Amino acid sequence: MKNQILFALALCGIAFNVNAQKIKGSETVLPISEKAAQVFMKTNSDNKVTVTGGGSGVGLAALIEGTTDIAQASRKIKFSEKQKLQESGKTVKEVTIALDALAVIINPSNKVTKLTKEQLEGIFTGKITNWKEVGGEDLKIIPYSRETSSGTYEFFKEHVLSNKNYMSGIMSMPANGSIIQSVSQTKGAIAYVGLAYLNSSVQAVSVSFNKGKTYTAPSVENTKNKTYPVVRPLFYYYLAQSENKVKKYIDFILSPAGQKIVEEVGYINIK
Amino acid sequence: MNKKHSQFVAFLIFKLLGIIVVLILFSILGFIIINGVRVINWEFLSKFPGEGMTTGGIFPAIVGTLYLTIGSLLFAFPLGVMSALYTQEYAGKGWIVKTIRMMTNNLASVPSIVFGLFGMSLFVNKLNFGDSLLAGSLTLGLLALPVIIRTTEEALKAVPDTYRAASLALGATKLQTISKVVLPAAMPNIITGLILSIGRVSGETAPILFTVAAYFLPHLPSGVFDQAMALPYHLYVLATSGTDIEASRPMAYGTALVLILIVLTMNLLATFIRRKLEKKRSK
Amino acid sequence: MQKKKIIRRILDKTTEYLLTFSGAITGIAIVFITIFLFTEGAALFKSPEVEQGYELYVHAQNPINTLSPAETKKIFDSEITNWKDIGGKDGEIKIFRIDDAFSVYPEDELGENYALLPQKLGELIAQDENILAFLPKQYAPIGSSVKALVSHNIQPSDYFLGKEWMPTATPVPFFGVMPLVLGTLLVSIVALIIALPLGLGVAIYLSELASEKQRRLLKPVIELLAGIPSVVYGFFGLVVLVPAIQKSLHLPVGETAFTGSLLLAIMALPTIISVAEDALRNTPRAMREASLAMGATQWQTIYRVVVPYAKSGISAAVVLGIGRAIGETMAVMMVTGNAAVMPHSIFQSVRTIPATIAAELGEAPAGGPHYQALFLLGCILFVFTMIISISAEIISKKKNYKPH
Repeated sequence: MKNQILFALALCGIAFNVNAQKIKGSETVLPISEKAAQVFMKTNSDNKVTVTGGGSGVGLAALIEGTTDIAQASRKIKFSEKQKLQESGKTVKEVTIALDALAVIINPSNKVTKLTKEQLEGIFTGKITNWKEVGGEDLKIIPYSRETSSGTYEFFKEHVLSNKNYMSGIMSMPANGSIIQSVSQTKGAIAYVGLAYLNSSVQAVSVSFNKGKTYTAPSVENTKNKTYPVVRPLFYYYLAQSENKVKKYIDFILSPAGQKIVEEVGYINIK
Repeated sequence: MNKKHSQFVAFLIFKLLGIIVVLILFSILGFIIINGVRVINWEFLSKFPGEGMTTGGIFPAIVGTLYLTIGSLLFAFPLGVMSALYTQEYAGKGWIVKTIRMMTNNLASVPSIVFGLFGMSLFVNKLNFGDSLLAGSLTLGLLALPVIIRTTEEALKAVPDTYRAASLALGATKLQTISKVVLPAAMPNIITGLILSIGRVSGETAPILFTVAAYFLPHLPSGVFDQAMALPYHLYVLATSGTDIEASRPMAYGTALVLILIVLTMNLLATFIRRKLEKKRSK
Repeated sequence: MQKKKIIRRILDKTTEYLLTFSGAITGIAIVFITIFLFTEGAALFKSPEVEQGYELYVHAQNPINTLSPAETKKIFDSEITNWKDIGGKDGEIKIFRIDDAFSVYPEDELGENYALLPQKLGELIAQDENILAFLPKQYAPIGSSVKALVSHNIQPSDYFLGKEWMPTATPVPFFGVMPLVLGTLLVSIVALIIALPLGLGVAIYLSELASEKQRRLLKPVIELLAGIPSVVYGFFGLVVLVPAIQKSLHLPVGETAFTGSLLLAIMALPTIISVAEDALRNTPRAMREASLAMGATQWQTIYRVVVPYAKSGISAAVVLGIGRAIGETMAVMMVTGNAAVMPHSIFQSVRTIPATIAAELGEAPAGGPHYQALFLLGCILFVFTMIISISAEIISKKKNYKPH
């Protein structure tokens, strides 16, 4: 009896699910998807978009397991993830939906305003532990990082730490919001977030990737004129097999209306 | 120091302790209530969230929690009550029953995140339900199961054996005895257990983290394979995610208050029923 | 009449079977959960140390045959840069990753589905005696001058005694649970140390000193507080406790083990108070009266007679409190900073087992070593709570055997 009920319920579930798109993954991309889903649903009320966070790794793992339709990611798909998809006979498609300047943030009371790539590497791998070593006051450096599921965590490791591992025992925050909060409360803190999460409660430092010749602050202009060194694309990944299901939504996010949302949220459009 | 003095000092310390602890507990409650009350209005309860979770309301999260609670108990309540009936009324005192009882006691103390771990790998991945109301309800149901079994067993134990003997002596079958005599007598206690587990299930976050919870839905779930928002997860999201954490803070206070109200109402209701029952029995 | 009786009997039997069936289902489900957890977890020890699906390759002339996980990590973190530091020939280690291949060869030179990749990689390795290549097995380099380093499976001692938890480190992930286990125990035990005297004090106050009216008002209210969801406590901790502790104790960070302990203590208080109070009130009236009649003051009666009598009940309260603390996930995750490091101070960030599972489960590919390592963490939690609930049972049973 109970099985029958479940079965019946399951049937209605399937029937209703035809136009549902599940988007899962990066916390960095979350604001875009949230807003886009809202606007998209207004004109396409038969399409049901579901947005879930967790981190790029979570989204891509779900894509491999087949429990999401679109994986949102703030890093490129890893070779091993691609391999897993290939093994199960699936081909993945990648769409760049926006650009983001990865900002390094510190407490507003901190006098340090600029850091080189080498200094950042030293700080996050645990070689530099005091702000006075990089021109600040005598204060312990408290690096905050994201959880390992974060695409930002992986991107930062690859491009700023030259693939070295983070210092062991780094503080790991589950989401960008708590990073901002912790950095705004902690004097010696340093962390990294996507451009959309920057606000006045924290201070973004200018970074130099040419050994201190030029320092650039993270901003929309500096990303557009290509002077900011840590710029990354934000992606949607989906399976070629389910292209029909997600096409309408993907087209929307790439349309002028969708790209306007990208800008409103605080990222850089891809045009 | 003489006896009287040491007694005076000790009692003073205990009184102070009592006052401090009660104050701490109430200040937490008060903090949430004061900050939350400002936010709660009809719009907050009936609208979808908007603008990066800083405006609008928490309607889909309320509905999601409602669905999850109903779904989980739809599965756990009948199974739990029937299992308890079996162990109490039918099974003897053999090792099987003893093992089951030990296992349920154990299961009751297993941390909720372990249920999440199990639910995600079995329901979401192996059985391919995906992140869905079905997977979430089953996971929460497993969590509620031992609670329901235990309270039902206690309720059945509380029914005096003379009732059963009298009924059987009058020629009633065992089924009749159970359905007409034992169950009605035990019902209020069983219902109390049900209400308590509603309170527990609606406040759990860890088991739904990987089985059903969605960050944002611009629509309500329409089938058991849909994801849903839920109040506890929504509070977690409001507290840790969001592009403007300061702006979404009021929403978080409001959500916390709604969550507390639901849970406390359930617990109060259970206490109320139990009290009524105790009075009735002592008459 | 006869017919009715038969129907009734059939109904009776059916019900019995149905109930037996559901009892069996429950039993099976519980056993199944346990077995499921442990089999998934145990599979970890069949996984290789090197990241799943990958292997390390060197030039055939290289005398090194195997690298320990620690050595591998140091090499890839550029802490070891010369082969002679680990017993090889003098020469700077040149690290090569699969992504580097795509910068050496354009994709169209690699053929369809990278069919030519293994051969090209073989050529690359042949050119450089000092190379250390980290490559997927699927594209294992071909050639006579290629040597794969011997990789061991993860050992139980690496897991249970390991001091580093870096589950996504490449090329060698570290699954050492010591920091997590110690972090969990530290947070829970400190929480108990804070909560126990407070809880016991309140319990004594409620059961011995408070008027009946006060008790009847306070006890249910305190019990109600036990039902507040942990995420609400976590939110409170995040907003109030973390900044308050940082400011009042002048700590560099507010997210510490102590913050978690304090929050857990607050959460465990209602349970401890309620159970301990029940135990104290169960002391027979005759014993109190005997003590008072012999001239003892009320205070002497409490700490010489009532508390010793209720000892097992109080112990049960302690055990239940610690049980709740060990498994707590959300609240702890929100306030302790989650740094996976061996704890040496309570004013330092720690990562607990439940928080680790909650933070990492979503990204761990099903069936991979990381996933299995998280399941083993679940097993450790399961065993912890089992020990706790069994000892609680034994403690509360002991009381029944007392001759009083």
